[in-house]
Amino acid sequence: MTRRLIVEPRGLAPWWLKLLIPIASVIAALVLGALFLMLTGNDWLDAYGKMVDTAFGSSRGFAETLVSATPLILTGVAAAIAFKMLVWNIGGEGQLLFGAIVAGGVGVWLSGSTPPIVAITAVIIAGAIGGAFWASLSAVPKVYLGTNEIITTLMLNFIALLLINYLVFDSFSPWRDPESAQFPQGRPIIENARIPEVFNRLDWGFFIAVAVAILAWFVISKTRSGFEYRIVGDSFDTARYAGIKVPKKVLGTFLASGAAAGLAGSIMVAGILGRMDPRSLDLGLGFTGIIVAALARLNPIAIIPVAVLMGALHNAGPALQSIGIPSSTVTILQGAILLFAVAGEFLISNRIRRPERSVEETTAGAEVSAA
Amino acid sequence: MSEGTMIQTPPVVELRDMDKSFYGVFANADVNFSLAPGEVHALLGENGAGKSTLCSVIAGLYRPDAGEMLIDGEPTVFKSPKDALAAGVGMVYQHFRLVSNLTVAENLALGNPEVALRLSQKELEEEAREIGEKYDFPVDPSARIWQLSVGQQQRVEILKLLYRNARILILDEPTAVLTPQEGEALFRTMRVMADEGRSLIFISHKLHEVKQVSDRVTVLREGRVVGHINAADAEPRDLARMMVGKDLELPTRAPNESIGDPTLVVKDLVVVGDRGLDAVNRLSITVNAGEVVGIAGVSGNGQRELAQGIVGLMKVTAGSVHLEGTDVTQMSVLAKIKRGIAYVPQSRLGMGLAPGLTTEDNLALKQYREAPYSKGPLLSGRAFDSRGEELIEEFDIRGVRPGLPIRLLSGGNLQKALIAREVVQDHSLLIARSPTRGLDVGATSDVRDQILAERDRGVAVLLISEDLDELLALSDRLLVIYEGEIVGEMPSSEATAERLGLLMSGQSEVQTA
Amino acid sequence: MNESVLMLTIVAAIGLGTPIVYATVGEILAERSGILNLGVQGMMLVGAVMGFWATFQTGSLWLGVLVAMIAGAALSVIHAFNSVTLRVSQIVSGLALTIFGTGIAIFIGRAGSNPLVGQPSREIFQPVLPQSLADIPLIGPLILGHDSLVYLSWVVVAATSFYLFRTRPGLTVRAVGEDPASAEAAGVNVSQVRYVHVMIGGALAGLGGAYFSLALVPSWQDNPIGQSGWIAIALVILASWRPWRALWVAYLFGAAGRVSFTFQTLGIAIPATLLAMLPFILAILAMLVLTSGKRARFLGAPAALGIPYFREER
Repeated sequence: MTRRLIVEPRGLAPWWLKLLIPIASVIAALVLGALFLMLTGNDWLDAYGKMVDTAFGSSRGFAETLVSATPLILTGVAAAIAFKMLVWNIGGEGQLLFGAIVAGGVGVWLSGSTPPIVAITAVIIAGAIGGAFWASLSAVPKVYLGTNEIITTLMLNFIALLLINYLVFDSFSPWRDPESAQFPQGRPIIENARIPEVFNRLDWGFFIAVAVAILAWFVISKTRSGFEYRIVGDSFDTARYAGIKVPKKVLGTFLASGAAAGLAGSIMVAGILGRMDPRSLDLGLGFTGIIVAALARLNPIAIIPVAVLMGALHNAGPALQSIGIPSSTVTILQGAILLFAVAGEFLISNRIRRPERSVEETTAGAEVSAA
Repeated sequence: MSEGTMIQTPPVVELRDMDKSFYGVFANADVNFSLAPGEVHALLGENGAGKSTLCSVIAGLYRPDAGEMLIDGEPTVFKSPKDALAAGVGMVYQHFRLVSNLTVAENLALGNPEVALRLSQKELEEEAREIGEKYDFPVDPSARIWQLSVGQQQRVEILKLLYRNARILILDEPTAVLTPQEGEALFRTMRVMADEGRSLIFISHKLHEVKQVSDRVTVLREGRVVGHINAADAEPRDLARMMVGKDLELPTRAPNESIGDPTLVVKDLVVVGDRGLDAVNRLSITVNAGEVVGIAGVSGNGQRELAQGIVGLMKVTAGSVHLEGTDVTQMSVLAKIKRGIAYVPQSRLGMGLAPGLTTEDNLALKQYREAPYSKGPLLSGRAFDSRGEELIEEFDIRGVRPGLPIRLLSGGNLQKALIAREVVQDHSLLIARSPTRGLDVGATSDVRDQILAERDRGVAVLLISEDLDELLALSDRLLVIYEGEIVGEMPSSEATAERLGLLMSGQSEVQTA
Repeated sequence: MNESVLMLTIVAAIGLGTPIVYATVGEILAERSGILNLGVQGMMLVGAVMGFWATFQTGSLWLGVLVAMIAGAALSVIHAFNSVTLRVSQIVSGLALTIFGTGIAIFIGRAGSNPLVGQPSREIFQPVLPQSLADIPLIGPLILGHDSLVYLSWVVVAATSFYLFRTRPGLTVRAVGEDPASAEAAGVNVSQVRYVHVMIGGALAGLGGAYFSLALVPSWQDNPIGQSGWIAIALVILASWRPWRALWVAYLFGAAGRVSFTFQTLGIAIPATLLAMLPFILAILAMLVLTSGKRARFLGAPAALGIPYFREER
């Protein structure tokens, strides 16, 4: 007699499984990537060696890895806090870009003699406000009209990208460097608004991003507002029952998510870039942030190491090119990691077991302890 | 076996010693059942007696754990509803299985292998109209399901089965959603179908209907068959007793000493239900301080809407709710919580608790806004832990581990946690819906003690339940709700299962007196 | 003069719109069965590169089309497995598919010592009918002057519309997307229907991608398709899940993609980047008007779209 395997929802997944699944996803993706490299006639060992060496092999390389990780921490936080409440904000990309536009605008507009502390703060906060504004274009219709946010956030990504290109390449806006006639680029922000560097090209922006991730964790787990957020994320009905205004909470979360993504834009503008430059901002950071959030299982603290890993991958791409392997290997790896991680969620929320050999006779109505 | 000798042809459906359990709890145990050709066979029983499970097994939706099913005397296994339909067995579920955005004709054609690959809307509609006319079931075949009334939708469900030429039709509480007139029309159709030689299984709790339309009755209680009777011989009183079981114990609790002033006064309350009809229909009740008022009724008669209307989760369209003399009708949920309404909803994990949060978090769900939980905008983790620990200890909530989501506790412990949280806040009114549903004996008695303790502290308790034992054990006064209205009232000392059963089934008191 | 500008715009709209027609119709089939697949962009890109590669190797355009369809369908199986069998988040899985597919497409285009990137096409789809017919005023450029994939797209639209609304299997698909529990009660195999339609959707996305690399762009580049895959997902909503409407809105968006060139011809100076926003702004406005509040129901979104289906839940 054949017995079907039983798939059933799992109670509390053991902690090691929650750690194992993301790690296994990365390993599985690396194996898949190696197979792919082999099939296309490349030396996978060579490729991976080069990647590790580039990302972690030198202090300069490691600094670059952290530089790449900085916006990913923020877009990761943006995705995580939204997704946890089932707000499908996939507009981190656009919110980052619009944040950069506003930050760049403020950075250009400020008087050159503004004290650094004021200038830096103003530029950074401007980015967060810009990101929140861009998110509000999707959030307000979602909360008050029920408009699907997936499509609106997605479309706003493209609009923001075109807008940023317009400001620099297609017009003589204040964002465009007036001295770059031949090869247009963004106008540098005032020197006092630049975030100081720590070592190599790494600036304090990385630590701001880390602080934001920690702040997100703190707010969610230690404050009253965060408690309400957790209740709403767990059950809309129970939140209503407890007297929480659910629509307001959803709106606030969506805007906070946009602000985090916008912050990624302003930190790049005030830090590594020093100007609002379309080519250096259009890197798919919003989408990579979703990978980061998924792999970190929406935990803001876990986002930090995951973002560093993704930053390393990102950073290693161009190095592959130098040994004749397409840099898009990195994109394949990122996509594969996310595919494995999302499939792995199945194992975290379900368990598979064989049915018991024989069912013991129990009296009708007897309750079997659940835990 | 015994009936087999009386009837020449084998029963069209026969179940032998059938068991079916869900997550280790039996919904059906040792069920023996047979359906004769051309009969209308009623299944009678309280909520949770296992009627729907039994029918879902026959219809191929569930596979039994043990026992045997025979169709026309042949052992048969249905792997899915598809197999059952192919064998001529079809079911009208309590929650209709109609695709609401499709037309009537399209729903008839769905999944039906006899329909041509190329759909002709015209032919389909023609056929649908013909069958409809034959059974005196006029529906517009081109209408979309969502445009139809509930009664019309039910007709479509039945037409769907007739269109597939089902010989065995199972109707799960078909009259629960119908007006009396629609119900009468349905009964006529059921008789026509039976006279054609089709066999029908009819689930109901309404005694007069069972007597009116069926040939035989099988009574179920707690998943087991209690008896088979010919409908003609059955007295409503006997049926009510079989359904409810043992003669009910009279309450052993101490009577309440002092009933105070009215705490909750509900006047002419109207709440619109999900289907857009008045689920609570100009209902008035008063609950005094130190009194437990029980509301009995078959589920779906407006209990959920009544409770949610009072606590502010559903919109009150007319009438008023006064709490300790203040009009609270249109106040927000939070304002009502602060004014002292405690509420134990029916679905613990669906509404009363946040399933993914810990027990300590859930215990704070209504008081986290105040000290000691909150310090300004911050939460005190220590308060959550210490306060949680106190309550866990005081209310004997077991199985709690650090970080464990509350949904992993057993039903009894969930309920203890929920009640603990509701009663520790300042409150003058406690509304509880079926608070001991699904609990084992020990937990049931703990929960009952908690509710009586509330009463003794002078809290007004509104107990809404479908469990007569529970109602009789706790209530000082009993009301019966039927179709959103209060149809009877009595002190619990004068209540009997029979009297309540008849009122709950929509019989007026005069008829039975 | 203006007339010919209009004509050129319409012709270009059909050309640029055709790949979007394929992808949109494919996504309509997947969504009608209840599965949201945000991997369209990835499937199109993989289809584009595989189609180009196959034609580059063999010289056969139709073999290229076939390979592109197989590649798109193969990629979509991953998503079907995630969303139907494992029942994990369709949104995250679809995004992952797009990232994965994008990486693969660019990689294949750049791999090896003699990479495809920058290579001119060996063959390209040409108008089927003789030039003399295409020269007939009005109906020539509008109807007679296209390549076979344009005509095929018309067939696909007509066939899909017929299939969905006039056949019993089509009815099954719609029912599964609306209400899988009811469909199952009526004897339908829900998982099977969903797998099949996600895969057909993948094949059509692959074909749409191949139209770029085998008809529109005469050489291989990293991303010949722009944001067409994403646009297709938005168009499904604007087309309210109906194939014929998908054809018209895809052409409208094709025209919007061409509009900057048209304006230039007419001597109207509006920056190209601002004009390029037009389709996306249009999509958002249409979403706001069409899908908000109570109107959403009449739009015809499959009610069970994106929701995993569990059987025998109790």
